[in-house]
Amino acid sequence: MKDLAFVTRLVALEKRDILYSILFGFIAGISAVGLFAASGYLISKSAFAPPLYALIILTSTVKLLGFTRAMSKYAERYFSHRATFTILSNVRVAFFEKLEPLAPGIFQKYRSGDLLARIVGDVESLQNFFIRVFYPPIVLIMVFLSTVLFTTFFSVYISIIILVGLILTTFLVPALFSLRQAKIDSAIRQERGKLSTEVTEFLHGYRDLKIYQRLGEKGNKVEATANQYLSKQETESIHKIRNQSINAFIALFITWTVLVIGALLVVNGQLEGIFLAMLLMISITAFEDVGPMGVFPIYLQETRTASSRLVDVVNEEVKYEELDDLKLTDAPTIKIDKITFAFSGEWRNAIQDVSMDLPTGSKTAIVGPSGSGKSTLLLLILKMIEAEKGNVMFNDKSINQLSEESIWKECNVVLQENHFFFGTIRDNLQLAGEHLTDEELADVLSKVNLDDFQLDDPVLEKGDNLSGGEKQRLAIARAILKQGKLWLLDEPTSSVDALTEKFIFENLYQEAKEDTLVLVSHRLGSLEKMDQIIVMDQGKIVESGTFDELIAAKGYFYQMKEIEKGLL
Amino acid sequence: MKSLKEIASNQKKDRLFLLVIAVFIGVMIVTQSYLIVRVIDDIFLRQKSFQDVLPLLGGLLFIMLLRTFFNYVKSKRGIRMATRVKRDFRKELLTHFTSKPVHLSQQGQTGHKVSIMMDAVDEVDNYFSSYIPQVMVTTFVPILILIVVMTQHINSGLIMLITAPFIPIFMMIIGMKTKAKSEEQMEKLAAFSGRFLDTLQGLTTLKLFGQAKKQKETIKQSSLGFRDATMEILKVAFTSSFMLEVVMMLSIGIVALELAIQLIIYQSISFFTAFFILLLVPEFFTALKELGTTFHNGRTSMGAAQNIIDELANKDESVQWGEKSLDDESFTMSLSGVDFSYGEGTFTLADIHAKFPSNGQVAIVGRSGSGKSTLLQLIAGLLRPTKGEITINSVSLHEYAEKDWYNRLAYITQHPYIFSGTIAENIAIGTLKESTLKEVKQAAEEAGLHKMIQSLEKGYDTQVGEAGRGLSGGEKQRLALARAFLKQPSIILFDEPTTGLDIKTEQILQESMKKLTENSMVITVAHRLHTIKNADLILFLDKGRLIASGTHEKLMESSLEYKVMVSVQKGGREL
Repeated sequence: MKDLAFVTRLVALEKRDILYSILFGFIAGISAVGLFAASGYLISKSAFAPPLYALIILTSTVKLLGFTRAMSKYAERYFSHRATFTILSNVRVAFFEKLEPLAPGIFQKYRSGDLLARIVGDVESLQNFFIRVFYPPIVLIMVFLSTVLFTTFFSVYISIIILVGLILTTFLVPALFSLRQAKIDSAIRQERGKLSTEVTEFLHGYRDLKIYQRLGEKGNKVEATANQYLSKQETESIHKIRNQSINAFIALFITWTVLVIGALLVVNGQLEGIFLAMLLMISITAFEDVGPMGVFPIYLQETRTASSRLVDVVNEEVKYEELDDLKLTDAPTIKIDKITFAFSGEWRNAIQDVSMDLPTGSKTAIVGPSGSGKSTLLLLILKMIEAEKGNVMFNDKSINQLSEESIWKECNVVLQENHFFFGTIRDNLQLAGEHLTDEELADVLSKVNLDDFQLDDPVLEKGDNLSGGEKQRLAIARAILKQGKLWLLDEPTSSVDALTEKFIFENLYQEAKEDTLVLVSHRLGSLEKMDQIIVMDQGKIVESGTFDELIAAKGYFYQMKEIEKGLL
Repeated sequence: MKSLKEIASNQKKDRLFLLVIAVFIGVMIVTQSYLIVRVIDDIFLRQKSFQDVLPLLGGLLFIMLLRTFFNYVKSKRGIRMATRVKRDFRKELLTHFTSKPVHLSQQGQTGHKVSIMMDAVDEVDNYFSSYIPQVMVTTFVPILILIVVMTQHINSGLIMLITAPFIPIFMMIIGMKTKAKSEEQMEKLAAFSGRFLDTLQGLTTLKLFGQAKKQKETIKQSSLGFRDATMEILKVAFTSSFMLEVVMMLSIGIVALELAIQLIIYQSISFFTAFFILLLVPEFFTALKELGTTFHNGRTSMGAAQNIIDELANKDESVQWGEKSLDDESFTMSLSGVDFSYGEGTFTLADIHAKFPSNGQVAIVGRSGSGKSTLLQLIAGLLRPTKGEITINSVSLHEYAEKDWYNRLAYITQHPYIFSGTIAENIAIGTLKESTLKEVKQAAEEAGLHKMIQSLEKGYDTQVGEAGRGLSGGEKQRLALARAFLKQPSIILFDEPTTGLDIKTEQILQESMKKLTENSMVITVAHRLHTIKNADLILFLDKGRLIASGTHEKLMESSLEYKVMVSVQKGGREL
């Protein structure tokens, strides 16, 4: 149950709604039992032609119980659902609190785009925890125990039988079921993963497969995997209904035993015959709600898996070191000393023994083919990832002693992927500072040639209504507003046309005149003004120097430039 | 493709089977109640001995066992049906995706297709595994119970008959109200529910701007907003259940009261009949209630199925091939009046004429969006011209057998797909022939990959995949070249990468092209001046039309547009 500690704690926050859910659930359950018990008694009593007033009292009781049941069922549903959604909100906030200190390093670590979707899915599935796992058994047990208590007034034997039934149907059978369910569950997940990979390969590699004439072969493989997945699913479903059937039969069997024992007791004169029908009705009704307990293990397993996966994500070595803050009054000097870095799961270093100096106020370009480690280097300077070997020094202070937050605070960063939030242009720009006035914002928009944007224009999630070039320019505008002393730009204008790029760069250089700047680029134009150009290939620096030096050296950079010239 | 209902009605055998089971279950329910009442009646009123009721009790246990058993069989049959339908759907989707002309598979909807293949198909499950069996049972059982009650005591039957219709009526009214309400709330809900993901996705940006901590409040507010909006909808649904229970309770109450009055005042019925009816009435309403719940499940499945059906209905004519074998040593290719359109009002290629020399090198050039890649796919036979003809040795391309054509062809795309498997397997996929490791190594050597592969710990057995994780863009490109070297094709189609390659790959590309042209016809969508200058024939496209063709020298003289394009190169642009 350790996996569920995280969510249980959050559930417990909603004491009032939980209490109401349980209370009304209990009233609904007990009034249902009462209702059927009363009607069983009513019909038996009627057989003896009682006075009419007795009959009226009884039928009124039946009606009243029925109405109570419907009302409390409504209340139970209302409160339990409200609790569920409040808990969902708690889970989100709590998870965000845990994830927030780990980001963005954690995204680099996983490097797979579906991490977030998985997190969101897992958080959603935790909403089942309260409504299907946490409180229904409590209500069920309370109703049962009250029923058992009530029946002891008539027959201890019968109450014991019902108690045994309770233990069998709510504990023993579901527990046994749970054991196998965990195994089946992981098998299904595995098969599903396999199928998903096969289908993705089939569709993504479609053209290649077609030309290599492997389409049929791959199709067969997809089909075979799909069938394996299906057979595992079928096993689960059949396992599920088998358990439900077993539970249902046990419930029926208990009712049967109640009838047998009840009949025996009546024949032996230990129980009044008039109560026989009532006890039978009680048993039938009490066990009616046992059915859902059959699927209880499925939800338990589901929420347990989700919870433990979430905990796994956020439980990774949170280091609580005392770190200094980076405080810059002037543009920083950065020294990179023999750093090496590899992404987990990859068989090759992304950065290998790289050293470089970025003097205060200098402008550096890092160029090289895609996959040469340019962006990784930026991430290392930002401390979004940490080098295995080597060191990065900010003004003679090791990055290991500096807090990430303070580094980010001082940096104007444009990454390849820049996020924009649902809201307006103003909202997205004001991330750089809430005090910024409309004039300042409009001014910066004109610096990136986005004059026609209004501050109130809407922005959709992820900036989906903006083009690639617009997003890049907006990101640059946001960076300019931040007024840090260190600029780290990763291909900031790759989707912008040459003329606009030139215009933006001129403004950018003006803004960054006094600051230290690093520009990653795979285009080689507009690098003449740079103080140094560093050329990387396969995670290593192959040469460096000013534009003129590199051209004169006729080395790697020169050749790249020649190829670029030859590109249409 | 038909709707779920039609598929279900086609499963005649299963439906018949389920109907029979439903009859059995109905009979079991009635018999169970009958036996229980008999036992109690015998013991309570008739003062019979325990031995007398023993056979009845034995029978009751047997009936209970049968009832459970039939329920199990019913569900199992449903699961089997669901499995079969899901399998058929996946198979059909697979065939559908396989036969689709290639361009549609590239239109960025792969994610959508994967989700149809995985999630939508899974969601269909409920319809067959629970909805259909439940519908069969719940339609039959209430009818049977009603008939039995009618035969016992007509008044009770009438009460049930009058009150029962209120259930579907309420369901319908509430359903309509919920629908209107949920449409009203939909926008709100979507905005609220997306916020969490939006915030998580933007966490890097938020942290860079030092704004992450503040987002806690936003998440909380949007989650609570989501809760309140959802509760509005749910309240309506809960009211519907409430009304349903009230109808049920009232009905049972009236039946009970009527029975009691008959029993006491008129003494017109026996205790046996009264109790028997009292046991049956709740079963009647429970069945009706279950129908409502199942109906809801069924609806989700129907929505999912509709997505699948829509996808399947999205039919494009598949490219048909002939039988003719292609075994000529060398061949010439010509395009005469080739037109192509992706559909009404979309992009078109018009009236392309060209004749490719055997073993020649052809370059297709033009600005982005001029139709270069489309032309290459037409030449590859992946698409079929809407008008005009592509011929090989004067025979229309699609009269040849597909196998023969692709045996002779290699196609190197800008982003070659790397399948999960070893490097050796990924090279060997290039040809259908069984290739030895030696041949694979030879091909890797020629593509300049051998050294890099040798330096790996596991060499040729290194696992790559998940779209070539661990390989750089240049290495993927070289791997595609290795596939071509292994295949030794007669015709090579090459979509030249635009940027981002390392110098080594660039050199290898040039050398390889030289080597490959010795024995093959090479048709390139060219971005490199080098390639263009070496071409025997250049096709210059603009807005889907062939505006000039010839050698580089000839085009420099004859076409002003060509000259402008070549001299204003991307790389030559200076700030």
